[in-house]
Amino acid sequence: MLSYFMWSVAFRHLRYSISQSLLTIGVVAISVLLIIYLWTIISGTQTRIVQNTTGSLPHITVEPPERTPLGAWNLPMPDDQSGKLYVGEVVNLPRGLERIEDWQLWMPYLDHADPAITAVSPLVSGQVFMNRGSRRQSVRILGVLQARHNGIVEIEKNLVEGRFLAMNSGDVVMGSKLAADFGVKLRDKVRLTGPEGVALNFTVAGIHNTGFGQIDDGLVFVSLRDGQSLLGLSGSISSFGIKLADLYTAEQVAQKIAPGLPFKVRSWVLDNPNLFRTLDAQSQTRNLILLMSTIASGFGIASILVMVVTSKYREIGILKAMGATPADIQQIFVIEGVLLALVGCLVGVPLGVGLLELLAGIRSVGPDGRVDAPFLIQIEPAVLVGASLVALVTGGIASFFPARRAGKVDPMQVIRGN
Amino acid sequence: MSASPVVELDQVGKTYYNGAVETPVLFDVSCAIVPGEFVAIVGGSGSGKTTLLNLMGLLDRPTAGEIRIESVKVTGLDEVERARVRRDRLGFIFQFHYLLPEFTVIENALMPCRMRGREFELAQEPRMRELLAAVGLDDKLKARPAQLSGGQQQRVAVVRSLANNPAVVFADEPTGNLDSKSGRMVFDLMKRLNRDSGTAFVMVTHDDHFALEADRVIRIRDGRIQGTKGGKG
Repeated sequence: MLSYFMWSVAFRHLRYSISQSLLTIGVVAISVLLIIYLWTIISGTQTRIVQNTTGSLPHITVEPPERTPLGAWNLPMPDDQSGKLYVGEVVNLPRGLERIEDWQLWMPYLDHADPAITAVSPLVSGQVFMNRGSRRQSVRILGVLQARHNGIVEIEKNLVEGRFLAMNSGDVVMGSKLAADFGVKLRDKVRLTGPEGVALNFTVAGIHNTGFGQIDDGLVFVSLRDGQSLLGLSGSISSFGIKLADLYTAEQVAQKIAPGLPFKVRSWVLDNPNLFRTLDAQSQTRNLILLMSTIASGFGIASILVMVVTSKYREIGILKAMGATPADIQQIFVIEGVLLALVGCLVGVPLGVGLLELLAGIRSVGPDGRVDAPFLIQIEPAVLVGASLVALVTGGIASFFPARRAGKVDPMQVIRGN
Repeated sequence: MSASPVVELDQVGKTYYNGAVETPVLFDVSCAIVPGEFVAIVGGSGSGKTTLLNLMGLLDRPTAGEIRIESVKVTGLDEVERARVRRDRLGFIFQFHYLLPEFTVIENALMPCRMRGREFELAQEPRMRELLAAVGLDDKLKARPAQLSGGQQQRVAVVRSLANNPAVVFADEPTGNLDSKSGRMVFDLMKRLNRDSGTAFVMVTHDDHFALEADRVIRIRDGRIQGTKGGKG
């Protein structure tokens, strides 16, 4: 049990060598600050990268299964073994045939397939030609139910002008970049021609700027029904897009819901393996830096304690002669290590939080003209607690060897003045 | 003997082993210290007198024989148990005072009590203040050891040795590091405290003048008790 005697000796040791104590506290504080800062900044950057990559995409896509025809060699052999020869040709079915027909039945099921699912959007997508005057360009159209799709990507919030949720049949909504390229303004007319020759006139009902290149540069939103007409899908859709509360659970949720569906279920993770590898490498680099910094602060604590043990060799011997046990002496030095770490935390945590709040307040103008915070900073209490725990445990471990050495001091060596 | 001894040594021997080299230091030492007596241990350098003191003070273990403190056999105790006996029943004064520089005079004097707990320390504080006043340090209670002279520091160490009301105080050349005047003052102080408190004192000394003033002198030569002179026992 830690006694008043141990606390008082430990505390006086540290106060007596105040300059070394302050230096060590500084090292621990910087280490704690570094843990909090690096963790938060890198997590924020990763979230930002992932959001930029996936923000315009559903986290999970539910698509029709690929229909690969069976080859003759896959067919069951007739029982009669009559020696008949079956001749055939392997033909891949056209992509257009891959569609979800009974989507209205599946949508309520998907809505409740997992509590992590926040939005389900039926999608119709394909390439069409967009005409205005003499200009003609291939664009991708996305036929959507606006309210549902706004749960996947917030178009309405990012409208520069016009409307998205209240888009009618015969309306299109496009990105500001595409609108500028095409020279169209709100209420201008464009003509879209589908792959099977269906051509319809549309009115520009809204222009948005989401900041996502994939959406702003070459995508045109139409109502689901218009999309179906243009692409000749009649009542079917091309796929479902699903948004989750936490995008990092995508693969988990995808694997969970896939067995209940007669469709192909893909998470964004599988579509972006390189991104995932990059993030993983970044995390490992971060962990390495944090490990090094923790070790450095551990050495800082250990070095001051080794110094104290060496300089207090005689006093330790006298305390032992007077009846202090080896465990008493060891605990004094462990208290010293943990005290240094604790004060280091009390300094480092507010410094780290302060620095992050300072950075969180910075705003800059991006190349797209949007004013945004360059750092995505979310200060997590768990990170603060974790950094403090790491420092405290490091203090305890770092003090172990000096403490053991102190516990072994032989009073007889000391009292003869050796 | 008027009372049961506070320390008894029964055929105690001590041999140091350094690898294959055996160095016998004490042979068949039997003696007893009775309550309240002042014993001086004298002998030449390397005679074994400090080893004897360390064995009595449970700082070292004998390789033969048996030691009893207040009639309790302590030879078989482990390190922690021996530390407890030292803390609760024995006092120590060393040639070098080794006060803790971070603590004040009164805190240093009370350190053995602090080891036993805060309440015990607080209970002993008035007595220690009186003792420090009695040795002329009443105006130095809040001073740090570095602010005291060598003689004053050793007086604090002497007072400290009595903090736990020990049965016996062991002093290893307590005047060896002091000038003759300070040495005399510290010795007289020990004598006075021995008389006033009734605590037995066992002092190793080179100084024959001090030895002659002890109740009893144990003379050691080549690891054996050569003779004792005087004494209450």
